[in-house]
Amino acid sequence: MSAGYRNAAAAAAVLLALCAVPFLAGKFTTYLAIRIMLLGIFAVGYNLLLGQTGLLSFGHGAFYAAGAYGLGLFGVHVSNNPLLGVAAGVAAAVLLALLVGYLCVRHTEIYFAMLTLAFGMMVFSLVWNAREITGGDDGLIGIVRAPVSIFGMARMPIGKDSQFYFFVLFFFALSVWAAHRIRHSPFGLALSGIRENARRSEFAGVPVRRYRLAVFVVSGAFAGLAGSLEALLESNARPFMAHWTHSAEPVLVSLLGGLSSLAGPLVGSAIFVAMREIIQRFTENWMLGFGIVLLVIIMGFRGGVTGTLSALFRKAPARERG
Amino acid sequence: MGESLLTTHRLSNHFGMVCTARDLDLTFERGVLTSIIGPNGAGKSTLVNLITGHLPVQAGVIRFQGRDITRLPIHERVRMGICRSFQIVNVFPELTVAQNVMIPVLARTGRSWRPLRSLSRETEAMRETEAMLAKVSLLPERDTPANALSHGDLRLLEVGVALAAAPTLLFLDEPTAGMNPVERVRLLDNIRQLAREGRTTFVVVEHDMDVVFSLSERIIVLHRGEILCDGTPGQVRSDGKVREVYLGDDVSDLFRYREE
Amino acid sequence: MQSLVHVCLAGLSNGMFIWLVASGLTLIFGVLGVLNFAHGSFYMLGAYCCFTVLSHLGAGYWAGLLLGPLAVCAAGYVVERFFLRHVYRIALPYQLLLTFAFVLIFDNLVKIVWGGGALSPPQLTFLGGSIPILGRKYPVYNLFIIAMGPAVALGLHLLLERTWYGKIIRAASSDREMSSAIGVRVPTLFTGVFVFGTWLGALGGGLAVPYVGLLTPGMGETIIIEAFIVAVIGGLGSLKGAFVGALVIGVMSAFGTRFFPTFDMFLIFILMAGVLLVRPQGLFGATR
Repeated sequence: MSAGYRNAAAAAAVLLALCAVPFLAGKFTTYLAIRIMLLGIFAVGYNLLLGQTGLLSFGHGAFYAAGAYGLGLFGVHVSNNPLLGVAAGVAAAVLLALLVGYLCVRHTEIYFAMLTLAFGMMVFSLVWNAREITGGDDGLIGIVRAPVSIFGMARMPIGKDSQFYFFVLFFFALSVWAAHRIRHSPFGLALSGIRENARRSEFAGVPVRRYRLAVFVVSGAFAGLAGSLEALLESNARPFMAHWTHSAEPVLVSLLGGLSSLAGPLVGSAIFVAMREIIQRFTENWMLGFGIVLLVIIMGFRGGVTGTLSALFRKAPARERG
Repeated sequence: MGESLLTTHRLSNHFGMVCTARDLDLTFERGVLTSIIGPNGAGKSTLVNLITGHLPVQAGVIRFQGRDITRLPIHERVRMGICRSFQIVNVFPELTVAQNVMIPVLARTGRSWRPLRSLSRETEAMRETEAMLAKVSLLPERDTPANALSHGDLRLLEVGVALAAAPTLLFLDEPTAGMNPVERVRLLDNIRQLAREGRTTFVVVEHDMDVVFSLSERIIVLHRGEILCDGTPGQVRSDGKVREVYLGDDVSDLFRYREE
Repeated sequence: MQSLVHVCLAGLSNGMFIWLVASGLTLIFGVLGVLNFAHGSFYMLGAYCCFTVLSHLGAGYWAGLLLGPLAVCAAGYVVERFFLRHVYRIALPYQLLLTFAFVLIFDNLVKIVWGGGALSPPQLTFLGGSIPILGRKYPVYNLFIIAMGPAVALGLHLLLERTWYGKIIRAASSDREMSSAIGVRVPTLFTGVFVFGTWLGALGGGLAVPYVGLLTPGMGETIIIEAFIVAVIGGLGSLKGAFVGALVIGVMSAFGTRFFPTFDMFLIFILMAGVLLVRPQGLFGATR
């Protein structure tokens, strides 16, 4: 079986397993699984920017918030059709990412990181202060999970978490597929080139700034999707989504799981959410443990969980031969 | 022969107090393999940097095939057909040799801007990539990551990546630096062969007089940002000003080729 | 008129306070090229250590200001010597994330050791109280802060420009390899500068105890953003720029709070983004 078929089979198996979760697991586990998928969507899109293109943004929470508030405001004022709401959220995130990205991609490295941080916090502060529109500190309320209907046909209720789970699973599968295709496309190769050597990419005829903007917007779209789905899950949108400490989550999670693989951010998301849940029962200082894990990874295991595991597996056959 | 590809008019540049290019008026013709030589600090790399867009032009005009490219961004110049290789190896370290070369191939054929298409379907690009790798004798290393190559192979890759953009005018900045004699001969043969094929005109910046005199049809000698001499190897060899500047440097190299 | 003067005074004390915190961050970035997210944590640790000396050891505020930051230097030493030093040569994201990991660690350590609630330091006796300025009362301690700002600026200036040690620091920051080649023990120097920068941050924290009046585990996070903004506006790595930037931010913030209370945070971020867009090297930064 070639690598391509093996990967497809593995993905199908995982998808099947994921479909079984709401039937086999309890309510809380289903909820956790949804949260893992949301963070997974956020991170897998973000990793196109960080792992693939080499750009560190500390402001992607702004696009997550745009997705959430976009869906929320659309739902409250226009229609609570969830599909339209998600579309509105993603559209809001894309527009914001286009604006912010255009201003930021002309800079690199530290200045890029700081600019995105600044814009992210600007969105945070705007959302916090515009109480009449966004509800400010209390968050946006009044978001409901109306049944999904396509052109008035086939009404599918998503009120229960076990039902909403499949709505999210659909977008999760879509996101992972899209990220996979992008990674292995000519566009993805050009992005890798930009990461490895931006100057040389220019001399290869790649319009670097334009491509950076494109991947910035794409990763913003993923963030917006995740944000709008969270708004539906929690029935509210909060300013914290745009705070830089939230923007740090996809970064940490991608690093934890492994920056260079597709599965890395997904594995990282699962570990992060699971760790948070388990450790939070014993102490509210679980971030301390996470900080230590992060330290260990940066100091010695920069490939993250997937990188370290695949390195181990590569060495094992050699040992057997020898 | 004789068609003017690129002209510079009063091209000037200075870093603070140091003038690295002074009112340079140059013309590069299609098919004429040119070398640019000069002592250290003469402005050779500066000239290449200005023409290829690595350095922004402070004064002067650059025209390529009639079009003013003075303010054109780098990737646009590459699209028009001007490319360069670097003195210090400047490739994509963690990508394989094939991937390194495929990036400019895809960019040139306008196929990089395709986010959902599978790379394995780009058969045309892969064919061109393999052809290019064969031209620089790197086909056996196609799946080796660039950071695992030997120095000589790296320099071949350096030229290969530049060639993959199928430039009309290609500037090679000290392509044989650090190579051993065997590798050097191999690269020079490749360049000679490609020059004969006629699709690319080479301009080579070099320190090594062997390379310069055995390869070039035309030599430009730079000194302190100005053109000291510009002509055939014979003309350059017998030029008094050139002898003066090189006195104290490797004059013996220059005169070794008197008999050729 | 009276309110104008008081707003200006508030701006001055705000600005000088931020300068005191940002000076260490700027120094570290200027010499080591590292943007230390954990600088806010060192500030916070400085405040907490000073508080501990002051209230638990009963030694008084000035002892706290002296000993607290010194204790934090140990943390700074550990961070640089055993962790940061090993990641200078790898890509930037890892350095930033390393310092961020320490933010997580220190912030939570503080919660464990000192508890998650807010702490109120006792009132200051010397330099406590307020004096009337143009009819309205103004805290004496704030005047002390306003005086400390230029004092530290002058001290740093003299250190860097007039001492042999300062020359070495400047040399190493502009050309690491060359300095190493002429015998400067660059790694040791970097550790020294990092510890000194940490000390400055912790000193800021100590000074914050009577100034801010309340200690919370989140105090590091809020101050680090302001310090970043100041450093960026002034020019990353430029102490002069940080001083000017801090003044600008301090005064703007004071006017903003007084006249545009809802949007003052927003204005400051706009300023930072604006500076980065138009003049990315900041007011006094070197063009790269």
